[in-house]
Amino acid sequence: MENPLVALILGLLGVGILVWVFWPKSGLLARFGKARMSSQRVLLEDTLKYLFDCEYKGIGCDLNSAAGNLNIGGDQMAKLLAHLKEMGLVVFEGHQIYLTDTGKSYALRIVRVHRIWERYLADETGVAQMDWHGEADIREHQLSLEEANKIAASMGNPAFDPHGDPIPSKEGQVPPFSGLTLNNLKEGEVAQIVHIEDEPHYIFEQLSAQGLYPGMQVYLLDVQKGKVTFAADGNECVLTPLFASAITVQSLPKAEPIQEGYQRLSDLQPNETATIVGLSSYCRGLQRRRLMDFGIVPGNTITAELESASRDPIGYRILGTTIAIRKDQANLIFINNIKKENHEQSA
Amino acid sequence: MKEQQKKNTEEILEMANHLKWDLGMGIHDKIVSSLYADAAQIARKTVSMDGDKPAFSLERKVDKVVTSRLLGFPIMFILLAVVFWVTISGANYPSGLLASLLVDTLHPILKNAADGVMPWWLSGVLVDGAYLAMAWVISVMLPPMAIFFPLFTLLEDLGYLPRVAFNMDSLFRKAGAHGKQALTMSMGFGCNAAGVIAARVIDSPRERLIAIITNNFSLCNGRWPTQILIATIFIGGMVSPFWAGIVSTGAVVGIAVLGIAFSLVVSWGLSKSVLKGEASTFSLELPPYRPPRIWQTLYTSLIDRTLFVLWRAVVFAIPAGIVIWLVSNITIDGVSLAEYFIDWSNPFAVVFGLNGVILLAYIIAIPANEIVIPTILMLTVLVTGMSGIGEGSGVMFELDSITSTEQILRAGGWTLLTGINLMLFSLLHNPCSTTIYTIYKETKSVKWTVVATLLPIVLGFMVCFFTAQLWYLFT
Repeated sequence: MENPLVALILGLLGVGILVWVFWPKSGLLARFGKARMSSQRVLLEDTLKYLFDCEYKGIGCDLNSAAGNLNIGGDQMAKLLAHLKEMGLVVFEGHQIYLTDTGKSYALRIVRVHRIWERYLADETGVAQMDWHGEADIREHQLSLEEANKIAASMGNPAFDPHGDPIPSKEGQVPPFSGLTLNNLKEGEVAQIVHIEDEPHYIFEQLSAQGLYPGMQVYLLDVQKGKVTFAADGNECVLTPLFASAITVQSLPKAEPIQEGYQRLSDLQPNETATIVGLSSYCRGLQRRRLMDFGIVPGNTITAELESASRDPIGYRILGTTIAIRKDQANLIFINNIKKENHEQSA
Repeated sequence: MKEQQKKNTEEILEMANHLKWDLGMGIHDKIVSSLYADAAQIARKTVSMDGDKPAFSLERKVDKVVTSRLLGFPIMFILLAVVFWVTISGANYPSGLLASLLVDTLHPILKNAADGVMPWWLSGVLVDGAYLAMAWVISVMLPPMAIFFPLFTLLEDLGYLPRVAFNMDSLFRKAGAHGKQALTMSMGFGCNAAGVIAARVIDSPRERLIAIITNNFSLCNGRWPTQILIATIFIGGMVSPFWAGIVSTGAVVGIAVLGIAFSLVVSWGLSKSVLKGEASTFSLELPPYRPPRIWQTLYTSLIDRTLFVLWRAVVFAIPAGIVIWLVSNITIDGVSLAEYFIDWSNPFAVVFGLNGVILLAYIIAIPANEIVIPTILMLTVLVTGMSGIGEGSGVMFELDSITSTEQILRAGGWTLLTGINLMLFSLLHNPCSTTIYTIYKETKSVKWTVVATLLPIVLGFMVCFFTAQLWYLFT
């Protein structure tokens, strides 16, 4: 190469092409992978899944709602349903569509793989919460039931997916749908969040951003038209009925509502001591197990002891040892009963 | 019978599933909490405590100083600088002693003895090739490692290193890595293979892989002498003798700092792209300070780290020595294989501001960075056909005087650009075979081993290419 300017330009071009091909998510390789996905089988399986979901929740379903759910035209959906009927997986009764027994067990297999994969992503990988559902939607068509069973066994056969939905058992059983949506709860009632619907995406994102998650206690304060006010683990929240209906709760008639809101471990100042009351369910998998091994469990006391030279992480004393915890982890640990600790006096 | 058992198992699992559905999601947390509650109750009954021991408050005072905003970082830099200084200055003398024993004295004796009983080519392969490569690796590698590792282990044993990780964590967190990577990185300045093994202290899968893949950006012991030599000749040579020392030291430190910058940037890139899906957690225990157990430390760091790494290096050096001897002695029509390769690759190498000799040296000296310079010198003499220098084709050598080394390199057509790019390439090229093997052993994954091997060399070629082309543009 004689001319360095030409060489430089060619070099930059080469780097540009490399970036274009390998860039995650929107690069050429990633796009190629995505393009191979939407085949006929995928659409058939997605239809079955939707039909199952409707039957499970006791909502009727017809051609139009199914087409809308899969985001395809009515004609194409009619063809798909005809195909499914031929295969003996669905029957029609008027406008209503029902799954046959074979169709139901087929759908349950897909649902099982989907929910196991979501559990796996949540517990064993670092994939972001927003991406679980989408990734599982792809994997459910690729993974065989045997592979999914192996993954489930290696995780100790979990019973729920990370959104709080039950995972169908190997034999294709699911517990009956129980619980009611948050907007149907009455004032003064105490309940526990058991499920947060992950579709549509924008609602789920919004609810996650508010810090709501399965396992939280809710105490309904006030229901008005267009506004549901409640305390989630002691902290007040306001939602519109549409958003509230994406949250499924199970009522706890005997439980006492949590009066005082929790504080987070990150609020603890140096030389202050507090009691741990819980770990957010956003702290999961390996991270959760690790913190619990250290003794971060409800009831134990924790003291902020040492700030690092750059203020984050902070060293906390728990059960006689000092461990460093980063600020974004400390945000997920709930405490109350903060007291000023005076070490010099007690020594 | 088996059938029956299997059926029972299935039934029990099914029942467990139903119970789990009834109990809800929080059951695991409740179990762990109740275990701790029980343990605490037992401890209250059986363990008596008389307040905090006085040692504890002393420890807190020490901690307040070494993690303070004002003194934390200066203390850390001074301690690490002392460790490196002791290593480099302390290794000089034993290294020279070993080299004069193994290379200058023993090699001619062996050569003479071998020439008496076997054909010339066999004694060439065994003594000039295999033995010499091994002797070289031992004499350059053993002393610094035998000093560096015990010192490092002492700091670790004392309990100071976890505080370094604690202080450095916020920088590494921003790069998507773990604070303990500061430790594996420092270890990498001693030896990358040891740094890769040290990444075991990081228990989060993603951060551990990041630490392993980026460890090669720490300029290891085997590369410091190359950097110092080339900086002295080419960069120190640019300025007046008065400034030469400072300027060339600055250049070497600059390369090391560039390595740290690369390691942070690449860590960030990896954590955001290919390693995004790996599980990630953070935990860092700050153990109490302990008086180090000096003898035990010496023993374990010598046996576990130094000899272990040295043994791997020797195992890889022997075949490489044979290859080095063979490529310079097997000739076709009177031209050696080495010369064929060098002639063929020269035009390609010039695009990157290097030359064919350097490329060949980095390929055949893959077992250890220590033998790159001796190989380059030998090959340059071979290609330029200089007489009276060196020990013959295929026999690696080094010269006592920097001036004569410079003469050889200049005769081989080296310019300031070649010098600069060799320094860059020495920082950014594939890890030595010992490290590659260690990465495979540690990750048990061909994929990550390939990434860790190819990523730095691709970066190295890119950096050298742009440096060279910009150089050509402006000169």
